[in-house]
Amino acid sequence: MAENFEQHSDVSATDLARLTQEAQAEATPSTAKIIWSEFKADKPAMAALFIIVGFILFVMIGALFINTPKMMETNIMAYFNQPFTADFWLGADSGGRSVAKQLIVGSRNSIGIAIGLTIISSTFGICWGLISGYFNGYIDWGMQRVYDFMMMLPMTMMIIVLVTIIPHYNSVTLTLIFSIFYWEGTSRLIRSRTLAESEKDYVAASKTSGTSNWKIIFREIMPNISSLIIVDCTLSFAENIGVETGLSYLGFGLPAQTPSLGTMIANANDPNNITQYWWTWLPAALEIIILCLSISYIGQVLRRAADASQRQGAAD
Amino acid sequence: MSLVEIKDLKVHYPIRTGFWNRITDSVRAVDGITFNIEAGETYGLVGESGSGKSTTGKSVVGLEKVTSGSILYKGVDITKKANRSRLDYNRDVQMIFQDSLSSLNPRKRIEDIIAEPLRNFEHLSKDEEKLRVLQLLDIVGLDADALYKYPHQFSGGQRQRIGVARAVATNPKLIIADEPVSALDLSVQAQVLNFMKKIQREFGISYLFISHDLGVVRHMCNNIAIMNRGRLVEIGTRDDIYNHPLHIYTKRLLAAIPETNVNQRMAHRASRLAVEKIYQEQQSKYYDENGEAFPLIQVSPTHSVALPETIAKQLASQEGEVQA
Repeated sequence: MAENFEQHSDVSATDLARLTQEAQAEATPSTAKIIWSEFKADKPAMAALFIIVGFILFVMIGALFINTPKMMETNIMAYFNQPFTADFWLGADSGGRSVAKQLIVGSRNSIGIAIGLTIISSTFGICWGLISGYFNGYIDWGMQRVYDFMMMLPMTMMIIVLVTIIPHYNSVTLTLIFSIFYWEGTSRLIRSRTLAESEKDYVAASKTSGTSNWKIIFREIMPNISSLIIVDCTLSFAENIGVETGLSYLGFGLPAQTPSLGTMIANANDPNNITQYWWTWLPAALEIIILCLSISYIGQVLRRAADASQRQGAAD
Repeated sequence: MSLVEIKDLKVHYPIRTGFWNRITDSVRAVDGITFNIEAGETYGLVGESGSGKSTTGKSVVGLEKVTSGSILYKGVDITKKANRSRLDYNRDVQMIFQDSLSSLNPRKRIEDIIAEPLRNFEHLSKDEEKLRVLQLLDIVGLDADALYKYPHQFSGGQRQRIGVARAVATNPKLIIADEPVSALDLSVQAQVLNFMKKIQREFGISYLFISHDLGVVRHMCNNIAIMNRGRLVEIGTRDDIYNHPLHIYTKRLLAAIPETNVNQRMAHRASRLAVEKIYQEQQSKYYDENGEAFPLIQVSPTHSVALPETIAKQLASQEGEVQA
């Protein structure tokens, strides 16, 4: 059979290396390169990328050097200490605890939960949506009824109840509790695109080429909706920072001894703090605004990179 | 024995209505068709859009769930999935799609696209596989630098040739060509068709050529089946169909071929109107009371038509007299 091809083609094994080289010279740049050139073309997004990466690295590493239980001890002598002093860069709160240190550890906790939650819930939501949309029929029907049931549950109420029931919870259990509920939006979004995508001819072509269903789902369809997945992940990351922050603000998030962005913003509940002691809540609020803005800039670049007609970067 | 024998193939889609979403009726996309494809020949399947020809093609390649009937390949009914995977059926039967852009995965490089059937069916080494892909590109007239490009970087004709290369990668015995050139402009159509003919000569492949373009079908096919409303209305050789059409539907299709001779414009118009008039007046003669085609009746060793026996004989003899 191989002879058959050799007979009718001028290409033979001796040309292989030369032709491969020729092809590589003409190769189209990879997706990573396209994304990078897109970042280079958009200066605010580049700045946003550095802020995000730098900040996450800073709080992750910085938090390792802070002794949290000791930091959280009440120090009456430092009651609402003014900011910009040698011991308290950003002042102290009503318990005399350093705002700057709380901010570092709190950001680590909040961002850690947001990243963990995004990874778990998006992975699950994407798989659920892809499988449901691709197989269609009874499988889709069953999976969508599970989805409908989950949507019916009042999410915030359930989380508050679960948090109250579980005796000793920390950021890991909190992440897991959140991820029970936060896969739903992603799964519906992915399913709707998968339904459209699996009708296309390239899926039929893969079937006639003998490719298995799982390979078609994750190697053929998933790359084609990757732009949607990337944008959804960045947006849900920004949203997930808000989820933890919001619950901690209400007092149902992390336990009181664990600082987080939410517990720090909760300082603003006190009118005194708002008018006089602005340093207790303003840094955390500013941080959330900057983080979410930066993430949305990065999301825009990724979306543009995925769609050739919107690109601003250098042509390939 | 024929390469593929299709017997009384039916593909029905349920129509669900009402509060309980019960099946109340069905769309009979393909409604009992029978024909054989011989090794090495090009079998044309012609009909208007919605006549079920693409559904037939998809059933033969195994993409469509068949309601009833059988498709025999090597004596095995391949409408069952287990039989298909046991035979490695798609190694021998491949498909060329109409829309060349959507049939190539936009996120994969050409090398991966063409190598896909090879990876699933042949398990070659990396170098052998790359060599085979390069040979295939060479056979369809593309350069080696296409290897690491993406489908959108090619023109329509080039993309369709990539589709052809993927279809012949495993050296199949039958290729279903579902309107392979209807999305291309005329000069490119000829180019792709000639490539397909060249490959057929060199590799001894059979085609099931699905088209609504009778000019293209005349160029490509030895045997032709005309399909209307899910049924076959006429089967014959190229000569039978083009020179001695019996069924009114075939005559209408032939009358619809555009003529470029402007001097004869009035004459062509008159003949078209005549065919249309016969169709309007004598519909009841050609279709049964439900508006469906009759079972096929053989009028010569190669020629069958879907008409009641008496009318078929009468028309055949008339046709003979006109010829004589």
